[in-house]
This record gives sequence, structure tokens and C-alpha cells, in this order.
Amino acid sequence: MATTAVAANARRRSLRRNRLYLAGLTPAAFLLALFFVGPALWALASSFTNRALVGLDAANPRFVGLDNYIRLFSDPDFGRVILNSVVFVIGSAIIGQFVLGLLLALLLDHAQRRGFLATSLVYASVLLAWVNPTIIAGFLWVAMFDYYNGSLNSGLQLLGIGPVNWLGQGPMLAIVIANTWRGTAFVMLIFLGALRTIPTDIYEAARVDGAGPFRRFWDHTLPLLRPIAALTLLSVTIATFGTFILIQALTNGGPALQTEVIALYAYHEAFQNHAVGYGSTIAVVMLALNFAFAAVFLRWSRPRV
Amino acid sequence: MTAIPAQEQLAARADAAPLPRRKGRAGRLEWLAVHAVFLVVCAFFLVPFLWLLSAAFDAKAKAYIAFPAQPTIMNFVRIFTDYDFGRVLLNSVFVSVATMILVVFTVALAGYSLSRIDLRRKDWVMYGVLLLQTMPIAATMVPIYGLARQLGLRNSYLGLILVHAAIELPFLIWLMKNFFDSIPRHLEEAAWLDGRSRFRALVEIVLPLARPGLGIAAGLAFLSAWAEVLMVVILIDQDSLKTVPLAFYQAMRTQGGYTEVQYGVIAAMAIIYLLPVMVVFFASRRLMVRGLIGSTRGL
Repeated sequence: MATTAVAANARRRSLRRNRLYLAGLTPAAFLLALFFVGPALWALASSFTNRALVGLDAANPRFVGLDNYIRLFSDPDFGRVILNSVVFVIGSAIIGQFVLGLLLALLLDHAQRRGFLATSLVYASVLLAWVNPTIIAGFLWVAMFDYYNGSLNSGLQLLGIGPVNWLGQGPMLAIVIANTWRGTAFVMLIFLGALRTIPTDIYEAARVDGAGPFRRFWDHTLPLLRPIAALTLLSVTIATFGTFILIQALTNGGPALQTEVIALYAYHEAFQNHAVGYGSTIAVVMLALNFAFAAVFLRWSRPRV
Repeated sequence: MTAIPAQEQLAARADAAPLPRRKGRAGRLEWLAVHAVFLVVCAFFLVPFLWLLSAAFDAKAKAYIAFPAQPTIMNFVRIFTDYDFGRVLLNSVFVSVATMILVVFTVALAGYSLSRIDLRRKDWVMYGVLLLQTMPIAATMVPIYGLARQLGLRNSYLGLILVHAAIELPFLIWLMKNFFDSIPRHLEEAAWLDGRSRFRALVEIVLPLARPGLGIAAGLAFLSAWAEVLMVVILIDQDSLKTVPLAFYQAMRTQGGYTEVQYGVIAAMAIIYLLPVMVVFFASRRLMVRGLIGSTRGL
């Protein structure tokens, strides 16, 4: 009898304590509800209406069922937008940031082990491009890509090339270059961290066995980096998928939709065409795609919670 | 988005074992090859910033790098006289510091509570929080605008502070929860037995042990509130409430067309915008790298 009384007492105490903890969670829960869960539900609700930014439909949005979704999936522009997003992600996240970041990490790790002093300068300059506010990155590359005076064309002309009309003729390449510049540090940092954890005696053993540098990289470094590489790849894909301000600053989706990615499309429909309901529909599709990627990420990484 | 395992690896950072320097011709060749690549990499990453510096101090700044023909600080003076930048700066400092305080308070409480609470499916709650962190701001921009308009949060300091406090919250809650998990419960339980209240035990015993986490939270909250531009653009259209990102955004977007672009003035603004970011970041680089890696998502 005594033991059950003690147990009941303990349970009561823990329940009382739990109530305190629940109270401690309320400010955070309030903010998350207001700016994450709320907007997602608001977008979902609006996507079934003809809500507008101004005019009669702004005050009294009407329920239109699946009209917005039917319109979206028969919208030829939307196909273009999805294609642009895919090209942008493959170009800047996978080929640009990931490959360049991995190569830089290997180079810097090696140079640091050799004791080259310039290593930290290179490290800092890659980081600098990453920490500066995105809108500044946009401004810097607007100037770099300038047709008449830009540093890029001035430099190319010294080599006898150009001038290239970056933002007019090759806008996708331009935003891919700018986003690679901005995001490479993330991948580099992760691989630098991963490389430090590889025990060096593996290499010593391989060297004694007569394996060359390339062989050692292929047989030992690469397999150890593979799990982290998959996660990093997914991570930069998710981040690049949401890129907005950099593209808005450089091309604003133009010319003629050539760089219009999904985030810009939602914004333009809602704020320029005043079609908030339709813009919300695009946002819902974007969120759904994002959650699909994120779910895969969480499954693969199984974070310790 | 968060790269969780990588973060732990960075934190572990076993020091890289030095390689012996190669001697002779092979060594010199290797040195030369590595530094040639270094030069290209540095050029790619630094040229835009070198241009920014040269343009900000040039009376007739153009889009290409040149040592200022007429070195001047007039660009910096002009942003204060022509663009009312004093007011703008004050707004930004106020919003960023208020956001920082709110975030530290919120995540300390939430992280601690989540760490200690008894929930049957706590791991699902944590996965849910991580999922929120992956939501791109660009996707929720339209609904946040609509919600804020209905709730009267547009054109107010309160709206700006709340939304900026929320942006990095999911990651920071997750981070702080893990910090508190590593602090043994018996420390605070001993304090309770000593007669301290729950709250005093948290403030006096537990929080000092979670200082690195609180440092990351404070730094990241300040940086994100200072730098974030999308939310300011959709929430503010009163000049008296303008913050630095909005002033910069407007100055940049109203240029061009038929008028000559005032590169010098915008560059001067960019430098003031950039300065606190660099100070906070490079002053506590290891903490900030950890924070930024964990919270990376598209902007």
C-alpha cells in the first residue's frame, strides 16, 4: 500500500512539474504558431478561394474549390517555373556549391596540414561571401555583371573575351554563379569538419602499402565522406530551393521568365497580379515539395532528439 | 536547413595532424600549384568586396574596380543627409536588440522545458520543430503578409520584432534543448532541496552552464534580425519605421533605368549594413559558424 501511495505522490508531483514546463513552452509555441503553422494553414485555406490583394475579392474572398489547383497544373508558365527551379538547384547547389565546396575543403585541409600560411586568408574570404546579407550579395553581383562597366566584363576583356551580356543573355548562368559564390562556404565548412575526424593512421597504413594520393582519396577519404555528403546535398538542395532575394535583386525572374523560380512566381502572382489565392496555391505546392525533401532528410540523418 | 551530424563533427574538431613539409623540387612545385589555385579562389570571392570598398569611397563610383580617382567620404555623409539614415540605423539597432532579448528569453525557457518535460512522444515534437525550420521564408511570405494585415501587425515595431524572433526559433529551440539535455538534472534538484524556487534554480544554476548555447542564440538572433530583408519589405511601408535592410533594398531598386546609378551611395550603405555582421561573426567565429550551419536555409 505504501509503495502505491508513494508512486501516486511522485506521479502527482511530476504532473505538477509538467504543468510548469508546459507554461515555459508557451512563448515559443505562440511564436511558432503565429509565424509557421498559422501561415501554412492560412495559405492552405486561401488556396481554395479567390482571395485578392485589392478590390472586392480582398474583403470577401469566395470559396472556389480546386479551381486554383486546376489552373496551376494547366498553367504553361508553371511548367517553365518548375524547370527553372530544377536547373537552378542542379546548377548552383549541386554543381556549384557542392562540388566547389568539396574541392575547396580538400584543398584547404591539405594546405593546412602542410602548414601553408595563406590557408586562413582563403578560408576567411570564402566565409565572408557567406555571412554577408543576401541582398548585399545581390547588389555586388549586379555591379559585377554590369554590361558596360562591370568588373567581370572588364576582366574578361583583358583576356580578349566579351563583353558578355550576363543578365540579358545568360541570366540563368548569372544567378547560378552568384548563388555559388554565396553558398559554397556552407559545404566547405561541413566537409572541413568531416575531414578532420578521419583518423590519419588510415593514410599512413595505405602509404606503407604503396597507395598513391589518388588511390588513398578514392579508397579511404571518399567512403568516409559519403554519408555526410548525402545529407549535405539534400541540405543545400532545400536551401537553394527557397532562394528568393538574390534572384529578385539580380533579374527579378526575367527576362521573359527565364529565371522565374517557384518562390518568385508565388510572390509575383500575389503582389503584382494581386491574386493572393493563386499565389497561396503556389506557396502550398512549394511547401509540400519542401516537406517531402525535409522528410527524406530527417529519415537519413535521424538526428538525436 | 540543419545538417545535424556535421554540426557535431565540427564541434568535435579533432585537430588536423600536420603533414611533413616536402623538400626540394616536388615541394616547391606543390607550393606553387596550391598558391596558384588560392589566387583564383581569392579573386573569385574577394573581388566583389574590393569593388564595394573602392566604390564607397569614390565620388564617381562606377561598376568596375578602380582606385578612387577622387577619394571622398561624401557618400557616407550623403546617406545621412539625403536618406535620413540616422533614424534608419536607430530603428535597426532597436529592433535587433529587442529581438535578441526576446529570443534568448524564449529559447532558454522553451529549451529547458522541452528537455525536462515528460512527454510520451517527445521525439515527434522535436522532429516537428525541425521540420518547421526547413520552411523557406519565401514560401510563407504571402501568407505572413495576409495574416499580419488581418492582425494589425504591419507597420509596427512589435510585428517586426515578433517575426524576426520567430525566424530562427525552431533551430534554436532544438539547439538549446540539446544543451540542457547535457546538463545533469541533479544539479537543479539539489538547488530545489536548498529551498530555491524553480525559476531561481534555472537562472542561477542551469543557465550559466548553458552559456555557449545562449551565446549562439543571442548572436544568431541579432544577425538575422539585422540582416533579414524579406519580412521588412512586406511588413513596413512607413518611412519612420524603416530599418537598414529596407533602406538598402529601396535605394538599390529605385536606381537604374534612365538615371545614372549612384553606386557610391549604395556601396556606403552596404558597408554600414555589413559592418555589425562582420564584427559579431568574426568576434565569435566558432560559435557563429556552428549557429549559421545549423540554421541555413534559403532566403
